[in-house]
Amino acid sequence: MDDAARADTFYAHVSGGGKVEPDDWMPDDYRAAVLKFVEMHANSELMGVLPEREWILRAPTLRRKLALTSKVQDEVGHAQLLYRVAEDLGKSREQMLQDLIAGKTKFHNVFHYPTRSWADVGIIAWLVDAAAIVSQQALRDSSYAPYARTMKKICWEESVHIMHGRDVVLTLMNGTDAQRASVQDALDRWWGPLMQMHGPPTNPETDRDLIWKIKAKGNEQLRQEFLSIYVPRIRELGLVIPDPALAYDDEAGRWAYTEPDWDELRSVVTGHGPKSQERLEFRRDARATTQWVRDAIIGPVGTAAA
Amino acid sequence: MRDKAGPHDRVWEVFRQEAEGDPMIHGGSVKAPDEELATHYAREFYGRRQESQRLWIVPRDAITELDDPDLLKPPFDRSFKRPGGFLIKHKLEAARERAGSPQVDEVAE
Amino acid sequence: MSDLDTQTRDALAELLLAMADDEFVLGFWDSEWTGIAPILEEDVAMSSVSQDEIGHAKALYELLAGLTGDDADKIAFGRPAEAYRHAALMNHARTDWAFSIARRFLYEHADAVRLESLAASSYEPLADLAVKMRREETYHLLHFDLWLRRLAEGGEESHSRLRGAIEALWPDAQAVFAPLAGEARLVAARILPESLEALRARWLERVTERLQAVGLAVPPTAGSPEADGRTRRTDEFAWLHGEFTMVSGSEADATW
Repeated sequence: MDDAARADTFYAHVSGGGKVEPDDWMPDDYRAAVLKFVEMHANSELMGVLPEREWILRAPTLRRKLALTSKVQDEVGHAQLLYRVAEDLGKSREQMLQDLIAGKTKFHNVFHYPTRSWADVGIIAWLVDAAAIVSQQALRDSSYAPYARTMKKICWEESVHIMHGRDVVLTLMNGTDAQRASVQDALDRWWGPLMQMHGPPTNPETDRDLIWKIKAKGNEQLRQEFLSIYVPRIRELGLVIPDPALAYDDEAGRWAYTEPDWDELRSVVTGHGPKSQERLEFRRDARATTQWVRDAIIGPVGTAAA
Repeated sequence: MRDKAGPHDRVWEVFRQEAEGDPMIHGGSVKAPDEELATHYAREFYGRRQESQRLWIVPRDAITELDDPDLLKPPFDRSFKRPGGFLIKHKLEAARERAGSPQVDEVAE
Repeated sequence: MSDLDTQTRDALAELLLAMADDEFVLGFWDSEWTGIAPILEEDVAMSSVSQDEIGHAKALYELLAGLTGDDADKIAFGRPAEAYRHAALMNHARTDWAFSIARRFLYEHADAVRLESLAASSYEPLADLAVKMRREETYHLLHFDLWLRRLAEGGEESHSRLRGAIEALWPDAQAVFAPLAGEARLVAARILPESLEALRARWLERVTERLQAVGLAVPPTAGSPEADGRTRRTDEFAWLHGEFTMVSGSEADATW
C-alpha cells in the first residue's frame, strides 16, 4: 500500500471512532496536529501554575495552604503527563520548553491575566477549572489513545480542584461584605476571559481536529455546556454575571450572550496579554537558574547517546 | 526525532495495582536518570493520593511490544478456545427433557 | 492531659511550638518551588514534601491548641514575626536548589533524631504523633540523602554550590537543638526522653557520616548552639511573614 492509500485508510479509521497508539503508523499531518494540540495543552498546564503559585505563600489557613499547594502541584503533574504524551510523538521536552519560553508556542488565554486577590484564587479554581474540565472530559474520547487515557486521569484530579474553588468562593460569600464584594469583583474581571476561553466557533466541515476526532466537541458546544451548568450555580449565590445579554433562549435551545471579544483573545494568546511577557520572563528565569541542576542530574543537553 | 536531552534522561513505564489482588494496570510513564529516582517519581505520580497498593517500575527499553494482527488476531475460527464458543443451551434443554429432569437456571460457568 | 502542672504544661507548649514552627516555616519556603523546580518530576516530589511539613505543622499546632485552649490557625497565622520560634536554620529564603537540598538534608536528619526520641515520650499524644510523623519522614530521608549524593557527585559546579550551602547553613542548623527554657522540666518528666544536647550529638554523628561518604567536608562546630537559636530573626523571614499573613490578616475575624 502506498502512503496515500495508507493515509486514506488511517483517516477512515479515526473518523469512524478508531484509536491510534504511539507506535502505529500515522500520516505526518495527523501526527503534527496531535502534537500541536497536546503541546499547547501541556504549555497551558505549566503556565497555568503561575497565576495561582503567587498565592501559595498567602493562603490564609492551614487547610487552604494544603489544598492550594496540592492543586498547583497537580497542574505541574498534568504538564508532565501531557509533555510525556507529546514527547512520544517525537518532540523533546527540552525543545517544547524552549519554544514555550521563546514565545513560539501558545498557552490558554486565561493564564495571561493577573491574579489580584484571594477571591481570584477561588474564581480561577472554580470557574476556570470548570470551563477546562468541560473540554477535557470531551477529550477522553480522543482518537489519539495515550491522550485519551491521560485525560481520564486528569479529569479525575481536576474534579477536586473545582470543589476546592467552590468551597473558597462559598466561604467568602458567607463572610463579610468586603469578602462578598471581592468575589463579585473577581467575577467581573474573569467573565470576559472565561467566555473567550473555548475559542470562537469553528466550521465542523473544515476543523481537522474535529474530523480526525483529536477532539470530540466543537468550541461553541463546549461553551454552551459550561454555561448550562455554571450560570445557575453562579447566580444562586447572589453573584451578578456582567453580561446583560446572557439568557437561555428556549426556542433556539441555547444560551445567548454578548459576542466575546475575539480580538482580545487573539492578541492575548499571541503574547500581548497583561501578564504574558512577565510570566514568560519568570519562566525563562526559572529555567536558566536551574539549568545547572539538570546538567548535574540528567547530563548536558545535546549529549544524548544515539 | 531523537530526544535531545541528556544521556541519563530515561523513560520508565509505571504499572499500578489499585487494590489488593487486582491486576497490575499500566498507569503512565515518568522520566528519571536512574532506578531510585524513578521509584520516587512513580510514587509521586501514581501514588500520592493513596490510590495504589503496589507499583511496578520498568525501563521502557525493557518492554517488547507485540501488536501484529497476524499473530494476535489470526483470521481462522478460534471460538473453540473460548467458553462462549460452545452453544449448549438447546442441547441441555433437550437432554433434560429426555431424562425427565426439571429445567432450572444455572449459575454461569 | 489535665494532670500536668502549669510549669510543665508551659514547657510542653514551648516544645510543641518550636517543632510546629520549624515544620510550618520550612514548609512555606519549600512550597515556593512548586511550579518552578528544576525537573517536572522533581517539582511534584518537592511539593509533596512541603505539603507533608505543613500537615505535620497542622497536627502539632492542633495538639498545642488543645493544650492551651487556642485555635490552630490562629497560632499559625496570628502572631507577630518576633513571636515565631523556628530554629535559625529556617530563617533563610529558599535561595538556589543546592541551598534548599542542603537545608532539607540537615533538617530531615535533625527531625528524625528528634522524632525517634519523642516516640518514647511520656506524653502520649505527642508520642503517638511522633510515630505517625516518622512514617512520612522515611521518604523524606531517602529522597534528600539521594539528592545530596547526586549533587555532590554531579560535577564541579554542583559540588561547589552544595558545599557552599552546607557551610553557610551549618551554624544555624545547630539551632534546631538550641536549649528550651523549660527543657530540664521536660526531661525530668520524660516528656522529652533525652536532652537536646544529647540529640544534637546523635544528629552530628549521622550527618557527618553522610557528608563524608559523598566527599563533603564537615564544617567546624563551635560548641553548643546559642541561646537565641530560636529567637533571632532575619529580614527574609519578615518578608515571608508579610506574605503568609497578607490575606489572613486583611480582615479581623473573617472566615477564610
